[in-house]
Amino acid sequence: MIAIRDRSRLAARRRGTLTSLLGLVLPPIALLALLFVAGCATFGQPGRDEFVDPIRVSDAAQTGDPARRASIRLVLQGLDADTDGHTERAQGSYERAIQVDPTNPYAYLALARHYLDGYQAERALPLLDQAAALFEAEGMREPRVGVHLIGLRGRAMHASGQAADAIIYLDRAAELAPRIWGDGYLAPEELR
Amino acid sequence: MVRKQTARRRGSGGSRGGGPRETLRWLGRGLAIVAFVSGVWLSSWILRLDRVVAERFEGRTFNVPSKVYSAPLIVYPGMDWQRIDLRGWLVRLSYREAVRGGPLEAGRYTWRPGELRVHLRAFDHPLRPEPARDLALRLGQGVIQEIVEVRTGESVDVVVLEPEPVSAFLGSDREQRDLVHLEDLPRHLIAAVYAVEDRRFEEHHGVDLRRVMGAMLVNLRAGRIEQGASTLTQQLVKNFFLTPDRTFNRKLQEVVMALIVEARYEKAEILEAYLNEIYLGQRGATQVHGVGEAARLYFGKSAADLSVSESALLAAIIQSPNGISPHRRPERAVARRDLVLELMRDQGYVSERGYRLALAEPLNVAAVTQDSGEVRYFLDLLSQQLPEVYDETVLASEGLRIYSTIDPRLQRAAARSLRSGLERIEALMGRDPATDAPLQGCLLAMRPQTGELLALVGGRDYGLSQWNRCTQARRQVGSVFKPFVYVAALDRRSGPAVTLASRLVDEPLEVPTIDGVWRPENYDHQFRGDVSVRDALERSLNVPAVRLGQQVGIDRVIAVARALGIRSPLPEVPSLALGTAELSPLEVARAYATLANGGRRPTPRSFVDVVETDGLAHENRPLEGSVPAIDPATAYLAVTLLQGVVDRGTGVRVRSSGMTGPIAGKTGTTDEEFDLWFVGFTPELVAVVWVGFDEPATIGLPSSQGALPIWTDFVRDVTGSHVRGAFPRPSGLEEVAIEPSSGARAMRGCPERQNELFLRGTAPRATCPPGVHPPGDDEQSGVIRRTLRRLFGP
Repeated sequence: MIAIRDRSRLAARRRGTLTSLLGLVLPPIALLALLFVAGCATFGQPGRDEFVDPIRVSDAAQTGDPARRASIRLVLQGLDADTDGHTERAQGSYERAIQVDPTNPYAYLALARHYLDGYQAERALPLLDQAAALFEAEGMREPRVGVHLIGLRGRAMHASGQAADAIIYLDRAAELAPRIWGDGYLAPEELR
Repeated sequence: MVRKQTARRRGSGGSRGGGPRETLRWLGRGLAIVAFVSGVWLSSWILRLDRVVAERFEGRTFNVPSKVYSAPLIVYPGMDWQRIDLRGWLVRLSYREAVRGGPLEAGRYTWRPGELRVHLRAFDHPLRPEPARDLALRLGQGVIQEIVEVRTGESVDVVVLEPEPVSAFLGSDREQRDLVHLEDLPRHLIAAVYAVEDRRFEEHHGVDLRRVMGAMLVNLRAGRIEQGASTLTQQLVKNFFLTPDRTFNRKLQEVVMALIVEARYEKAEILEAYLNEIYLGQRGATQVHGVGEAARLYFGKSAADLSVSESALLAAIIQSPNGISPHRRPERAVARRDLVLELMRDQGYVSERGYRLALAEPLNVAAVTQDSGEVRYFLDLLSQQLPEVYDETVLASEGLRIYSTIDPRLQRAAARSLRSGLERIEALMGRDPATDAPLQGCLLAMRPQTGELLALVGGRDYGLSQWNRCTQARRQVGSVFKPFVYVAALDRRSGPAVTLASRLVDEPLEVPTIDGVWRPENYDHQFRGDVSVRDALERSLNVPAVRLGQQVGIDRVIAVARALGIRSPLPEVPSLALGTAELSPLEVARAYATLANGGRRPTPRSFVDVVETDGLAHENRPLEGSVPAIDPATAYLAVTLLQGVVDRGTGVRVRSSGMTGPIAGKTGTTDEEFDLWFVGFTPELVAVVWVGFDEPATIGLPSSQGALPIWTDFVRDVTGSHVRGAFPRPSGLEEVAIEPSSGARAMRGCPERQNELFLRGTAPRATCPPGVHPPGDDEQSGVIRRTLRRLFGP
């Protein structure tokens, strides 16, 4: 009997130890889990204090096969030409970039930006959609891509008279990348 | 009174046959009248000739056909230089191999094992000029290893090569010329022409009397015409206004008109007109006129860049461009060139040293390149897409430069593949194209993202038939239409009616129509009972397609076809699902391009810009994106179905030919095998092949043996055996394992499973084994899924 009582006391003591251990370990785990879930839930939607570093075409200069690299090089040439004010030459470069690699999303993005500089929103919008579809298909769905798509779409809306909607887009782009989109404009060198 | 009578007597005596004075008087009067009439006639004749001269000189002096250029060739390290036919490009652009060492001048190249060195000419374009560049291309292992700028030694990432001239809009005279201005021409070219054709041009007034006398003496001595005495002005007049007849009347007109021209115009104007007008040879069936075009024909360069020796050669062949052709009779051409050089030296136009240097220069003429007749089908489409202001007359006379979207490499491959494919089919049919009506075909290629037409061959021989079977002909499309039915059924707007896990019924079917009951059958007249959606399309089964069409509604199928870009009338009948509509290959290409381009519909585009003679781009068609037409996820499902057609179905011959990489396509054979179609695409190219007779007749082959091999031959030629890239997969899809025979979701314990794609939220709920809850049904997993979606995107 004593032995039985001892065993049950021992078991109760063990249960107590386990409970207190769990009591010690579980709260931090739960807290961490909560933080993880909260973090996950807000990932991809930066708050006011979370900025993104938007993509640059030069980031992709060394990626992909030879055709993609040549196409990226032509996009860079186009951005340089746009920076120097040679707009027609720039357009030629973007079109050639698409000729070399018609699935290069950067080429459509840069050409859309170029058209917006020339107040041709109706031409820019389909190119933005094309760029978005190609970026998405390449698995590039993060906000550092999205910020340019949002911002440029805002500019296109503004140019086509949809000022109220445009402000929502431009504000969001400015929220995500204030250094680039704070002025509501994406300069060619900022995309380069 | 007496005096009067006397006078009357004298008069009457004269009239009676009288005195010589009276006769003379009458003769004089007659002569005066004749002279007056002749003078009036002569004056009016000269005035008429003067008007003719003035009209020609002061109106448009020359008709300059508009030239059509290809898209530029872009080269970069890593590119397969043999596939792009770099050597052919050099030849077609009239680049000449340098035969001597030393600095390489523009337009020349050297090709040693492992290295091509080429000095690119500057490309003149108001919007997209390219500078002249001296480049070295290191070649190895079949690809361009490196491109180096010779002057700086720096590596170059990408080089845009000058577009190729592919054809021209010639007028009825079939004359090709490239206008030049006198101030742009080298002095030695003019000197060479003076030296051999008219050394006193600057002195005479249209006719060189000293030379006429000299020629007469020579000809009298010889007893036949050995020497001519026509001045440049006379030659110009003869070419401009007169026939080549050797009659006195014509010669007289020539002399008078030459005098009129000299009286009216400056020597410089006459000389410039002469240098632009003179006939200098043939490029195929096209006449080459003027030193500008001749410089391109023989030396592949601008007339402004001609050397002394080259100038002498052009002047040498004026006498008889075909008899002294540098291409066909080089030895004669060299002998006459040397004679011209000698005359230039004797007349003081070149120094002794210059003469010797020019004499030592080898002939080295550029190869002749002619446009292939097949490109004319593309030109017809191009002229339709140009704004109306550029009508036939303007295109044949205004000297426009039209920069098109055509890829000359693809165009040549398309023409070759179609021609050899049609010959092969005719041989299988046992037909003789010489006696029987020829089998016809169309092959066109388009870039799906931009709608740019890269190649278009609208028939077998443009010379025999200009009917463009790619754009003008509308033929039944057969099973090529079926994917539109499947897209309609897979699209959310129809439910979706089916998913890729659905099973379709392949059993006898009766469809009531206004003409009675219609009983569609499969190609092999067999029924399979129950088939998957993939199987049904891969095997191109008719009955499941008709059922599907009925299920979603023909109006919905038509709406999808319209969204994809079909413009031809579509009959609202059940058999539409089997492709009874008559469509053009161009609109079929556009519809498939929309699928290849993630549901975004491109607009076919054949030109980029038009540059007028003032050097400004007056008509610019910038690249525009495509417009959303159908849901990208649905389009992707259709693409995967069509990949299955090529991987396992009726299009499997594409794979068995050894082609790898992302390829999708669909065969189409109409009733009685009147029309054979194959539409196939890669991520960067859509190509349509149609084969049939203009008057529909049985071919006796399915499309997999008729149209498909032509497509495969073409695409393998332009892309190689391995196609690059991947079809972009959009969001809005989920991949779920299913049990293939039932289409149920495969859970743990299911004996057979394969992954299948679904529009998000449309995966089957029934499970294998039955009764097991699929994941994602409870709230907790939904939270996780949403969280992961936020983390990694939708």
